[in-house]
Amino acid sequence: MTHCPNCGVEVEENANFCSLCGEPLLEKTADNVAFIKSGKLRREEKLLTDYQQLTGFQKRKIFWQISGLILISGIIITLLIDFAGSQSITWSKYPATVSLVLFVNFTLNTFLRKKIMLMVALSFLSVTSLFFLFDVFAGDTQWEIKPGIPIILVAYITVLVLVFLIRKAKQKGLNIIAYSMIAAGVLCICTEGMISVYTQGPVYFGWSLIVMGSVFFIAMLLLYVHYRLKKATDLKRFFHI
Amino acid sequence: MDSKTNHTVPNSGKFWFALDNAAKIFPAIINENVTAVFRLTALLKQPVKIQPFRKAVLQAEKQFPFFRVQLREGFFWYYLEHLPQHIPVEPDEKPLCRKFPKGHLLVRIPVKSNSISVECSHILTDGSGAFEFFRTILILYSAECGAEIPGRYRITDTGNRISEEKYEDAYNRYFKAEIPPMVKRSKAFHLPYSLKTTPRFTRLNAIVSLKQTKEIAHIKGVSITVYLVSVYLFILQDIYENLNGFGRYKKQKKIRVQVPINLRSIFPSKTMRNFSLFVMPEIDLRLGHYTFDEIVKSVYHQMMLETDEKLINKNISRNVRSEMKLFIRGIPLFLKSLILRLKYYSLGTNQYSGVLTNLGKIDLPDETSRLIDCFIMTPPPPNKMLKISVGAAGFGNKLTLSFGNITHSQEFEEKFLRFLRHQNIPVEVITKD
Repeated sequence: MTHCPNCGVEVEENANFCSLCGEPLLEKTADNVAFIKSGKLRREEKLLTDYQQLTGFQKRKIFWQISGLILISGIIITLLIDFAGSQSITWSKYPATVSLVLFVNFTLNTFLRKKIMLMVALSFLSVTSLFFLFDVFAGDTQWEIKPGIPIILVAYITVLVLVFLIRKAKQKGLNIIAYSMIAAGVLCICTEGMISVYTQGPVYFGWSLIVMGSVFFIAMLLLYVHYRLKKATDLKRFFHI
Repeated sequence: MDSKTNHTVPNSGKFWFALDNAAKIFPAIINENVTAVFRLTALLKQPVKIQPFRKAVLQAEKQFPFFRVQLREGFFWYYLEHLPQHIPVEPDEKPLCRKFPKGHLLVRIPVKSNSISVECSHILTDGSGAFEFFRTILILYSAECGAEIPGRYRITDTGNRISEEKYEDAYNRYFKAEIPPMVKRSKAFHLPYSLKTTPRFTRLNAIVSLKQTKEIAHIKGVSITVYLVSVYLFILQDIYENLNGFGRYKKQKKIRVQVPINLRSIFPSKTMRNFSLFVMPEIDLRLGHYTFDEIVKSVYHQMMLETDEKLINKNISRNVRSEMKLFIRGIPLFLKSLILRLKYYSLGTNQYSGVLTNLGKIDLPDETSRLIDCFIMTPPPPNKMLKISVGAAGFGNKLTLSFGNITHSQEFEEKFLRFLRHQNIPVEVITKD
């Protein structure tokens, strides 16, 4: 009988590996102990590379630093090219502002992960100010006040609700698709409503209702399949009182 | 509306059952530190032969199909659902008594060198239930190693027939509706030590002579459990008296030790689920200093009184009554868990200063005993209020004490063992981890 030098149990005579801990069984020599020690280390290392060993926050921070570097250098370069070409800042205002807002959002995502409401609110604020700046650049057409900001507000709220529902869902599957479809439908209705107010005056729904109708039907079907067909037999145990 | 457990039978594939009365509190309070997982360990004289051992586990789990379950959340209650996995035999390398993750079985079998352990969640069963399983494994293991097991202990393959009594909620069977409920107790003294940071659970195992302990206990005319509880109370009193004036002023002045009682020895039941209750012998420090002999005398009478069948009935009624009420049953699970968590400290741990759980003297066929050196019973990691708990198990001439501790201090263990040494009981510390 042989003993596993790692966990100490007795294994079959002709075994090559310990069936309990999985270590190779060689002749027990001084080398072997070192080998097994290194084997343990190797396995731990194999399980986790340097990058995997980082916490989520550290990973996000790295992403934030790299993206910050790219975006800020991008801003400077476009501004310089524009200035060199026309002796003033003209078109480069647009990419520079977009990059800046992107960077703001990356920053929020990196540092305010825990305070999701604050993060979303600030992100919304940054996008609104982006729209506002575009309007200023383009010469005060006020389009951002009427359709722009309401649409973006609705989009933020819808996505927020969607994320909340997905996080709440215990079994993720078809129900996630159904939720996303309904969210898209709601977004379509709101978008069309706001555009119609902006262009024609009265609220008018046309294509978006068709979208919503079809999406709703499919979503209900998916939800039915997900919850009822699977759970019908389990209801008694789920609701035992 | 029937809350018996026989919803489905383990003989019929995918079965499930409701949690028993004692288990209902645990899912609400379990976290990384308070895991409600206890460990039974057998230290063998020889290294474990892993091949025969695996065979023994596979045979044993057939006899205990109701242990192969996972915890699921219902709308009103948690329940246990069959999980068709084998009970894992794994190398004993990770922290002990750690929490069972979601979607896993509630038992594991850590093995290392010459030690075999069973770690089991209290949601599933109590120490005696788990020990029944452990015993089956050990007997089958010795049989696999070639021992001839005498008829009285032999484990026969019952095929698929598992008697319903083995997995029933025995509390319900012995519940009597007309018995008045218990009165609430006052707060008890708690140890003053500061907590370690996580992972914080460590233990110290010590072997003391069973023969000598028994002799000394017999001179005082009490059982080993009563003797150990008295030592426990005496040490707590000593720690209290050594506090400085202000510390003493702040602390509660009643010392209680919670002692789990195996109800199977009082009520006939073959259940393998939780079926135990607590008695709480106490001393009131406002009445002055107690000598050890006074404590022994008092604990003896309190234990006799509290293990009276009628009084036990009263306790069962208190526990079961509340879950019988329809309006309590109808509260959705997440609210129930919230309430249970709040009540756990105020009605539970608040009332006692320590826990001593004694598995008793372990009886095994000689053929199996020959392989085993001693048993260790490690109680679940204590919570932040309790801080220290003690488990005891007797086998052969060895009584093993296992001190679970989550604090920086070892004062309690040192005092406890020193006291035993002063009583001329040989003490040997075997593991510190």
